Amino acid sequence: MKIKMVRKIIFLAGLVILATALCMAEVWKAPDQEKAREKAKKIVPFIKEYKDDCKINRKICLMDAGISIKDVKDVYFLLDSPIIKKREDHYEPVRFAHKRHAALIQDCSMCHHYRPKDENALETTRCSACHQDSFNPDHPERIGIKAAYHQQCVKCHTAEAKGPVDCKGCHLQKVPDHKDLVKLPDNADPFQVTAECLRCHDTQGEDMLKTAHWLWKGPSPYTTGHRKDIMHGKGTTALNNY
Amino acid sequence: MPKKDVDLKFVAENVGHSSRASCGGCHFNGGGGDAIKHADMSRQLLKPDRSCDIHMGGYDFSCTECHKTRNHKISGRSSSVPVAEGMVSCEQCHSDQPHYCGSLLDHHLNTHSKTLDCNVCHSPVFAKCKPTKTWWDWSKAGDKNRKPKKDKYGKPDYNWKKGEFKWEESAVPDYVWDSGYMNRVFIGDKVDINADIINLTEPVGSINDPGSKITPFKIMKGIQAVDADYDYILVPHLYPRNKEDKTAYWKNLDWEKAFEDGMDAVGLEYSGSYKWKETWMYWRLEHEVMPANMALSCVQCHESLKGDKTCNRCHQDNRNIDFKKIAQKGTDFSFMKSKGRDVEHLIEKTDYINFKALGYKGDPIIHGGRFKRLPMGYKKHE
Repeated sequence: MKIKMVRKIIFLAGLVILATALCMAEVWKAPDQEKAREKAKKIVPFIKEYKDDCKINRKICLMDAGISIKDVKDVYFLLDSPIIKKREDHYEPVRFAHKRHAALIQDCSMCHHYRPKDENALETTRCSACHQDSFNPDHPERIGIKAAYHQQCVKCHTAEAKGPVDCKGCHLQKVPDHKDLVKLPDNADPFQVTAECLRCHDTQGEDMLKTAHWLWKGPSPYTTGHRKDIMHGKGTTALNNY
Repeated sequence: MPKKDVDLKFVAENVGHSSRASCGGCHFNGGGGDAIKHADMSRQLLKPDRSCDIHMGGYDFSCTECHKTRNHKISGRSSSVPVAEGMVSCEQCHSDQPHYCGSLLDHHLNTHSKTLDCNVCHSPVFAKCKPTKTWWDWSKAGDKNRKPKKDKYGKPDYNWKKGEFKWEESAVPDYVWDSGYMNRVFIGDKVDINADIINLTEPVGSINDPGSKITPFKIMKGIQAVDADYDYILVPHLYPRNKEDKTAYWKNLDWEKAFEDGMDAVGLEYSGSYKWKETWMYWRLEHEVMPANMALSCVQCHESLKGDKTCNRCHQDNRNIDFKKIAQKGTDFSFMKSKGRDVEHLIEKTDYINFKALGYKGDPIIHGGRFKRLPMGYKKHE
């Protein structure tokens, strides 16, 4: 009897371990993304004093020091500052290809415009070392990290006519929690759900009805002889051999 | 309609962005199951290895980060179906000068970008994470007694409903000049039934068109029925509509009835006689881009760089650069093999994209490119 019980316990414990192992295996993380996410989470010490070089001096100083794209250690960042998120959290992180930007601009001083006053500090430092909370009474001249990002990115993208300048071009808007917004009875049927979605999203509903994913047909601008047609697709004329 | 036990209230309250899982719910299953049609998409992309897909596996991209949407219209042009609501290209993010570190090698790679689609080098094999179907012979269907045999990947070679199959994993693509436009055969279009092969889709392009690039494709090959009198591809009725269905092939195993009913459904006549014909469909390879350090190396296409002479054919070799290392670094298929991929036959392979088949006289380093004659400092080649 006792042996049976022990066996049972061992069996159950085994099951628990197996289930845990399976659950652990379920958690998948993209490695580069995870590294960038960890870096984004860190708040670095605030640099109170900076060296106010004239822009041209700063540029020449960096170039004379031989600092170039070869020194770029971080290829990729996620911009997802906890300093901003403390106040508001409406957007997903921005993917920022740091090295690619450095290569394209070929002038580190475009972003690394000042340096810490401390002579022992590195020549370049991350944005959030100098730009942290906005409206800091001790440093009224210093714009916050959110403003710094937006001024820097949008200004340059506009001037160069390259890269996104709209909100969604850089970061995906977070979907607001719909738990209190959705008003549905328990056991709602599909028609009730659709009607409830359309209560607010009627424009999106109209849009959806005009798409290839709904109609299974649409414009075929890349098919020879049919470049001006709008009715080809799986729902109408498409053929396959599978 | 959703399954009865799905709590739709809970679903609606937890509405969110689309994901690889939501798009993949349909798109990974093209052809009736996972990885069947698409050579570069499968459920593997839900949690891919970094080396399987750098965007989705390394950086956790969702589909819509590249396939941007506007008013619910999703950009992207498929090679299998004609519909397109906007396009997606690597250049949108990576620009037409994607190799940016400023080295001599980068200079040459950026020149390559004018002639090669990125995936020629950056995704040198397709179905790299999961086998895909590359041959589907419908004419063999109907034998309920034939026992399917499993191939080396564990995939069946037969299904009585569908016919005979072949599967490939980590396969070398077909490389073709592509301008981005496709010729397509639609339902009811006349085809040449005396041709050896009928291309249902094929890329339009030429070595002489500066806008065309060498582009990797999976060719989905198969045998299917063509109307012997009307010269168009036949559409069979396969899946029984209900219990009383007397024409569905998967119930009655009668092609005649299946063609008659199927063609009736698409509003065309069936003449009563059919022929089995080999058909090909070209599928452009877009996804499963590998990390940069796994791209093809110079020698894998340029046989001329395999020996002692490499970059020093044109460049002075008195700098502190190891030319051989530059020319011969890159994907080493032995690394992919160590990851469990079926690529042993590709190790040490050269002329990877087959220059002659693409219209070159041979290795462009020796014979010149499509618009440029390079040779400097060595004898004119016959």
